[in-house]
Amino acid sequence: MQQRIITVILLIGICFGFTMLVYGMMDWRLPDRETGYSPEQPIDYSHRLHAGELQIDCQFCHTGAKQSRYAGIPSSDVCMKCHSVVTSSFDVLQQEQELADSEQRKPQPIISDKLRKLYDSLALDQDLKPKEDATATSIPWTRVHNLPDFTYFNHSAHVSAGVTCQRCHGPVESMERVRQVEDLSMGWCVNCHREVNKAGVNGQPVHASTDCSTCHY
Amino acid sequence: MNYSELLNHASRRQFLEAAGFTMSLAALSGCWRAPTVTALPFVHQPEGVVPGRMMSYASTCGGCPAGCGLLVGVRDGRPLKMEGNPEHPLSRGGLCAIGQALPLGLYDSQRLAYPLRDGQQATWDEVDGAITKQLAALGDDDAVVFVTSTVTSPTLQATIDSFLKSFPGGRHVTLDAVSSSAILDAHAETHGARLLPHYRFEQAKVIVSFGADFLGAWISPVEFMAAWRTQRTPTPDKPVMSHHVQLEGRMSLTGANADRRFRLAPSEYAAVLSHLAQDIGKRAGLELPTGQPPKSPLAQSDLRDLGERLWNARGASLVISDSQSIAVQKLVNYLNHALGNYGQTLDIEQPSRQRQASDADVAQLMADLKAGKVAALLVAGTDLTQNLPQREELAAAIKKVPLVISFAERADDFGALAHYICPDNHPLESWLDAEPVSGVVSLSQPTLQPLGQTRSILESLQRWQGRRVSAYDTLQAHWKDVIAKRAKTSSPFQVFWDQAVHNGFVEATAAAAKTTDFQFDKVSFPESQPAGEEFELALYSKIALTDSRHAHNPWLQELPDPVTKATWDNYVCLSPAAAEARGIVEGDLVKVTTASGVSLELPAMIQVGQHDRVLAVALGYGVPGTDRFAKIGPQWLEARPTVAPGELVGQNAAPCIEYRDKALQLALTNVTLEKQPGRRDIAKTQRYPSLKVPANVAPPGAEVREAVQETTLAAFAKDPHAGTPEVHDIGAGQLWPDDHPKLGHHWGMAIDLNCCTGCSACLIACQSENNVPVVGKDEVRREREMHWIRIDRYYAGDDDDLQTVHQPMMCQHCDHAPCETVCPVLATVHGAEGLNEQVYNRCVGTRYCANNCPYKVRRFNWFYYERDDDLRNLVLNPDVTVRTRGVMEKCSMCVQRIEHARIEAKRLGVPLADGAIQTACQQSCPSQAIIFGDMNDPESRVSQAKLNPRRYGVLEEFNFQPSVSYQRVVRNRDEEIGEQHSTGGDHHA
Repeated sequence: MQQRIITVILLIGICFGFTMLVYGMMDWRLPDRETGYSPEQPIDYSHRLHAGELQIDCQFCHTGAKQSRYAGIPSSDVCMKCHSVVTSSFDVLQQEQELADSEQRKPQPIISDKLRKLYDSLALDQDLKPKEDATATSIPWTRVHNLPDFTYFNHSAHVSAGVTCQRCHGPVESMERVRQVEDLSMGWCVNCHREVNKAGVNGQPVHASTDCSTCHY
Repeated sequence: MNYSELLNHASRRQFLEAAGFTMSLAALSGCWRAPTVTALPFVHQPEGVVPGRMMSYASTCGGCPAGCGLLVGVRDGRPLKMEGNPEHPLSRGGLCAIGQALPLGLYDSQRLAYPLRDGQQATWDEVDGAITKQLAALGDDDAVVFVTSTVTSPTLQATIDSFLKSFPGGRHVTLDAVSSSAILDAHAETHGARLLPHYRFEQAKVIVSFGADFLGAWISPVEFMAAWRTQRTPTPDKPVMSHHVQLEGRMSLTGANADRRFRLAPSEYAAVLSHLAQDIGKRAGLELPTGQPPKSPLAQSDLRDLGERLWNARGASLVISDSQSIAVQKLVNYLNHALGNYGQTLDIEQPSRQRQASDADVAQLMADLKAGKVAALLVAGTDLTQNLPQREELAAAIKKVPLVISFAERADDFGALAHYICPDNHPLESWLDAEPVSGVVSLSQPTLQPLGQTRSILESLQRWQGRRVSAYDTLQAHWKDVIAKRAKTSSPFQVFWDQAVHNGFVEATAAAAKTTDFQFDKVSFPESQPAGEEFELALYSKIALTDSRHAHNPWLQELPDPVTKATWDNYVCLSPAAAEARGIVEGDLVKVTTASGVSLELPAMIQVGQHDRVLAVALGYGVPGTDRFAKIGPQWLEARPTVAPGELVGQNAAPCIEYRDKALQLALTNVTLEKQPGRRDIAKTQRYPSLKVPANVAPPGAEVREAVQETTLAAFAKDPHAGTPEVHDIGAGQLWPDDHPKLGHHWGMAIDLNCCTGCSACLIACQSENNVPVVGKDEVRREREMHWIRIDRYYAGDDDDLQTVHQPMMCQHCDHAPCETVCPVLATVHGAEGLNEQVYNRCVGTRYCANNCPYKVRRFNWFYYERDDDLRNLVLNPDVTVRTRGVMEKCSMCVQRIEHARIEAKRLGVPLADGAIQTACQQSCPSQAIIFGDMNDPESRVSQAKLNPRRYGVLEEFNFQPSVSYQRVVRNRDEEIGEQHSTGGDHHA
């Protein structure tokens, strides 16, 4: 009987231990497990359309990539460089224009559902005028490429060295929703650093350090 | 097998199998997906702001009235790292520990975030309305007193003046917690103008200081250190340097750096000065002071030598004193005048404005308060009741004042008595200016929006005069009307202003102070005071906590005092002889009672070099609210609180101050000392006074290593390599193969010990840059402090001629690093550029490396150190990993800065220039003692420094090949044998 009680207590202890372990490990990440991670975003922004079809340069929006550790997510006003005019898809706007022409009236402003979210973030109304009763808020994008806190990756260093964005991020210009392509593990990083030391980047010789302190400090 | 079967019949093996399987499943499911991380971009990205890039804004340090130039490093909207502004004419790129610790003060969650009315949260409208009403009700006879610490800001001064002008009974009283009032009053008598000279140590070939701690906490230490060091670099071609003599009662940092140090009780300054004055006065053929000089406590030969040196360096010598006796200061003025130093080493045409207090005004205010003659009391920048004696009477008197307003950042001692607390912005949140020295106007700019609903004092004062003007507009208007005109700029104001904001300062000549000829009749020899047997008490301020204003900053509380090496406490320093005579050992509680009956009960600190009749207690402690630090540091089973229940950090020594001779006296005579029952441990970071191994613990045949080296100028002039110890060849060369070629860069550091004063600015700079945790008093006591730099302090010589060396010691980045060979998991490895890299994510915490480190510079994270305060966490540098429990850490030579500079150079397509990388300690060093650079570049400054004949490496004989080298101390003395810190002399063990 006593043995049984001990066993039960042990089992409860172990179950509790497992639960705590699982809970604790929620924060753990094994890098290669993230391959293919493609979370839903607050706005269904299409890189295929912008970077692929329209061939907008990556750094037109991700301006930090050249100068900073972070490539940066463009601020909402960057979107407004185009979307102050383009408020919906071309087809819809063209249809409305034709309809308006035929009815001999001014075309109605049409705002697509996706862009509505952008304008909401900037607190703009139907006519893209600032709303009085609302304040602008950031769009809460979900990060796709995450590195552990003890790893310091610097975009600027890689862009300056001529490494293409696709080398790490994959063919983003073909992705409707961004997906993590490479596993971003340390082995993957170090392999590339070793390769380019032999082969160079775009034919240019480079020195990619494999010292620990290149990324960890 | 079902569950009940498992429970009843499972063998141990089966059970473990099942458990293991469950566990792996759980583990796998646990780390399947990372938690979602959200990234919030700007809505409108401000021009020039790039997330992740550090921006530097020129500003002025608001930590004390010294007004050093700042470059505030702002990253992603938060000020993180303070750097000295290299172009600033006063501080020249250095910054002290207090300046470095500013961000932690900014992110203090206990700073008031809103105004208080009778201790209750209020809105600005309520407070403004009530105050305006009460001010309007004041009659013509009612006294309105505005008390501030020294105001160096021309704009704030003008705003206060204009505010007080609206009240017939308005007056401004300046109160300095550590006042220099006597210097100003002495000049009022001898030179006809109440001013503080601008001391110019860069011109001084002979410095004689009577107690003035000018390299520590006296007036403007960063500026003085920067100037002092220019005379401290002898070269083989030009073996000259300044001669610095310190005569003092307590052991100060300045005394520790002196070429010759005499023990002299503060009451004896007058006698020695009198004899010097007589000597120099005769030589100069000037009218002598009236009376007879009292008997000198110094030997005639020493006096003659001092006089000789001063006279030979006339026009380039400097006599200073921190005495609060006007008679003493007048003798100092006499000496400087007779030596022709005015206009050379002391500037009184463009005087300093860093201390303006008139203690007579303060005494008058105290009398008025007690007499109930004050109708309104406004206090800014100082804690009136905390920093003055007779606290209880004063507090009772203040309670009777009808209107009491405080501008303090928290409900401090005085604030608790105030009807209204109108919290001023933190210096990093506000527009302000400063004119620390006439002619140099420095500008402060905000680096973030105020965190709370605090308001600039400029704005508050304008508001109460019925004007809604922002601090920015007030400041700009004053600059347009006054400063721009003084600067005699030809460009339009906007251009001038933009330039000033960019540079952080302007040179704007002020009208020369109106002085008279030297008034000889005002100077007299003081009456003879026979030295009694009673103790004297010297109240002083520490480097980190000048007065009560920084007491809430844990970095500064945990900064080891450069001389005593104690943290988290104040104590009574007494000499070893005095302690022995009374049977006192370190940590014993002692009671100090002044002649006026005020007593303090504090632990004793045995301090070599201290005068046998002098006790010393630091001001700036015992600040209300510091009991918040009781639970700082790890809370574990055996943890002891940093602050005992019901107590504060240290004890306030200000009640001992006496007002006498028109000044608040910080040096008191007729003090008694009694041993009390009980002890209080003092948490020190260094417990051994010299390198000599005490005989009782030395193993037989133990050799002593010359880790610090020292020589004299006379020896250096003969042989620049003088002081090199004999090194035994111990043939350790074969242990490490030369398999690290270091073909690219090879980073190294050179530290000139002759310039290093031990001021510890580097320590806080490093703490701020590298996210070094605060561990609390108990952990320091257990020798578990986490600072990456420690400053070793070694004594040699005897009490009457003590010679001290300060040696910053951090990871030496050995090319043959003993730590690397023992790490079982390769967590500490050698980089291709010579850095000894510590990889936190690999470290499993065996601590082998720390045991094998000959320099003992590795720090182990025994705990998760407190990171619960979200606001405080904003101070963390995002470029450096926050280490976790069980991980070893140490100086990385700011590898994040190396990487940043390298990447920047690559981005801009330029070579990595010498000087492009500055480590945090190097940047902060007020005396520019630290040089970092590429040892593979023969032209680099560090390579040049390594060729210096004074160069040596610590424990080099073991072939560790440290990348950090030192330049040995040269003391400007005539004898040719330098003191040996390890073998010679009678050492204090």
